[in-house]
Amino acid sequence: MKNIVWLAFLLVIVSCPAWAALGQYEGSISLDKQALKSEDQVRAFPAYKVHQLTTTHGVTVREYVSAQGLVFGVSWGGRFMPDLHQLLGNYVNNVQSASASETHIRHLRGITIKTSDFVFTNFGHMQSWAGSAYVPSMIPANVTAEVVR
Amino acid sequence: MNFRRRAVNNLMFFFLFLTGALVLTSCGGGSSTTTTTTTTTPAANNSVDLTVGFGPNGQAGGYINGVFTTVTICQAGTSTCTDVPNVLVDTGSVGLRVLSSAISSLTLSAIKDTSGDALQECIQYGDTSFSWGPVLLADVKLGGETAASLPIQSIGGNTFAVPSSNCLTMPVNPALPNNGNEDTVAALGSNGILGIGDGIWDCGTGCANVSTGSTYSGYPYYICPSGSCEEIGVPTSDQAANPVAAFSSSDKNGVIITLPAVPSNGTTSVTGTLTFGIATQSNNALGSQTIFGVDACGDLPTVTYNSQQYTDTACTSNTGTGGLGAIFDTGSNALYVLDATTLSPLGISDCTATGYYCVTGGGTATISNIALLGYNSVGSGTVSVNIGDATTLLNANPTFAAYNNLGSDSGSGPSTDFFDFGLPFFLGKTIYISIGGQTVSGVSNAPNGFVAF
Repeated sequence: MKNIVWLAFLLVIVSCPAWAALGQYEGSISLDKQALKSEDQVRAFPAYKVHQLTTTHGVTVREYVSAQGLVFGVSWGGRFMPDLHQLLGNYVNNVQSASASETHIRHLRGITIKTSDFVFTNFGHMQSWAGSAYVPSMIPANVTAEVVR
Repeated sequence: MNFRRRAVNNLMFFFLFLTGALVLTSCGGGSSTTTTTTTTTPAANNSVDLTVGFGPNGQAGGYINGVFTTVTICQAGTSTCTDVPNVLVDTGSVGLRVLSSAISSLTLSAIKDTSGDALQECIQYGDTSFSWGPVLLADVKLGGETAASLPIQSIGGNTFAVPSSNCLTMPVNPALPNNGNEDTVAALGSNGILGIGDGIWDCGTGCANVSTGSTYSGYPYYICPSGSCEEIGVPTSDQAANPVAAFSSSDKNGVIITLPAVPSNGTTSVTGTLTFGIATQSNNALGSQTIFGVDACGDLPTVTYNSQQYTDTACTSNTGTGGLGAIFDTGSNALYVLDATTLSPLGISDCTATGYYCVTGGGTATISNIALLGYNSVGSGTVSVNIGDATTLLNANPTFAAYNNLGSDSGSGPSTDFFDFGLPFFLGKTIYISIGGQTVSGVSNAPNGFVAF
């Protein structure tokens, strides 16, 4: 019995990384919900689901989940920037290691990064932000990247 | 708390103002035998010169389409001042931010709480870069206008480390100069940013009640007791504020930007005028311009191009993320509109070498019939913009810094695209930008302010 409890505990640790979201399983969205202190509203579409996390301080985050249960895209918008370390998880490395030719900077205003399997765009001026990130190879068949918004 | 004391002072000013207004009203409404004497204050010199050019970094590493002015900054209540040239004029932000190196001759007062902890600010920019430094009080002079004892941000020169885990919520991209820290002229491209956009404060009333030490992602205000920084709620009276809205004159309800036209192949640099106030003096009257109401984020909520609607859904948290509609932003150095895939039928493509759009054959493409619709349907009309071939333009005349046709993508596709009418759009036009929450005579249907041209 003790072993089963340990096994369950280990499974929880392995399946729930410290941060969540892009590329992770749907269950990880609950960590984002907690971190953002937000409401989670789920809408189902034929080929994917959308979790909309709404905070009380004017930030909205959407997470797009495939039928396999993987978060293939996230988007954000509102008056402040949400913590992208939280939302991008391991994909933060793609932002931090993208080469100059994969990066398009608009001084003080915006950035777009396109690597082989990661698309990231962020743009904003004071109190008005919008951005998104997705993993092209995880996008369900018959769904376009355009749904991530 | 000192923060609170200042807020009370402002309330007192309000009551004094109210009393004054009542006195004035009762004078005007008195019997016909009452003689009223009108004392006319001479109109303030309400304009300053603008220069569109490379800015302080010059041709190598300087701005393309940067627009700059000189700001006089003084120790509050004294005549100890310094002129800071080459400050970027930015209708896309609110508040004056100046490199500490540009005001090193001044000793500006900090804003402190009762424990003596000075207020610090961390600002993130859309490209993942940031500015960090204390909020200080200064008298800010632009032409004949003065904003007395205005909270401004001093960038850099801070003894405290930037609160990266709380403020820097975006991973900083390695392609940014100076590791994303905009605390040098080389990185920032200017000596500071004069934020004269749609708002009065840079954070707003929602930032007054934030509890100390709360983890509030992307939040700008901090105190750093014993060296470690934590979030703190700040009343609007202590927030970095729009200098125009704080002018002692009546020219505080908005700005007018007038810039001359430039040839389609660009020019070295041009000069124009930044006029303060809308419908307050003979030189800032509204005429036949179309007034477009802006939404609570200072954006135009709806744009339609080629039957596709681009809305500012990011502003309304209930309807989601997506694009930003349209913005009129002198701090954006190009026309960030649509994306290269959407514009490919016009021969427009991404030019990775320049970071701007290119055009097949090296010519110019026109994006026409961009339909704008203001907030609450106040204001509608169509505009068009020209997009030049960046490689041809920039290579032909490397000494040119002003172009009316440099463009680039906004988002990554129609669902995230928007229309950032940056500095090129302002060339050859006079554009009015009012400040939300301020009154403009004759305009009653734009509660968040407006853009007019």
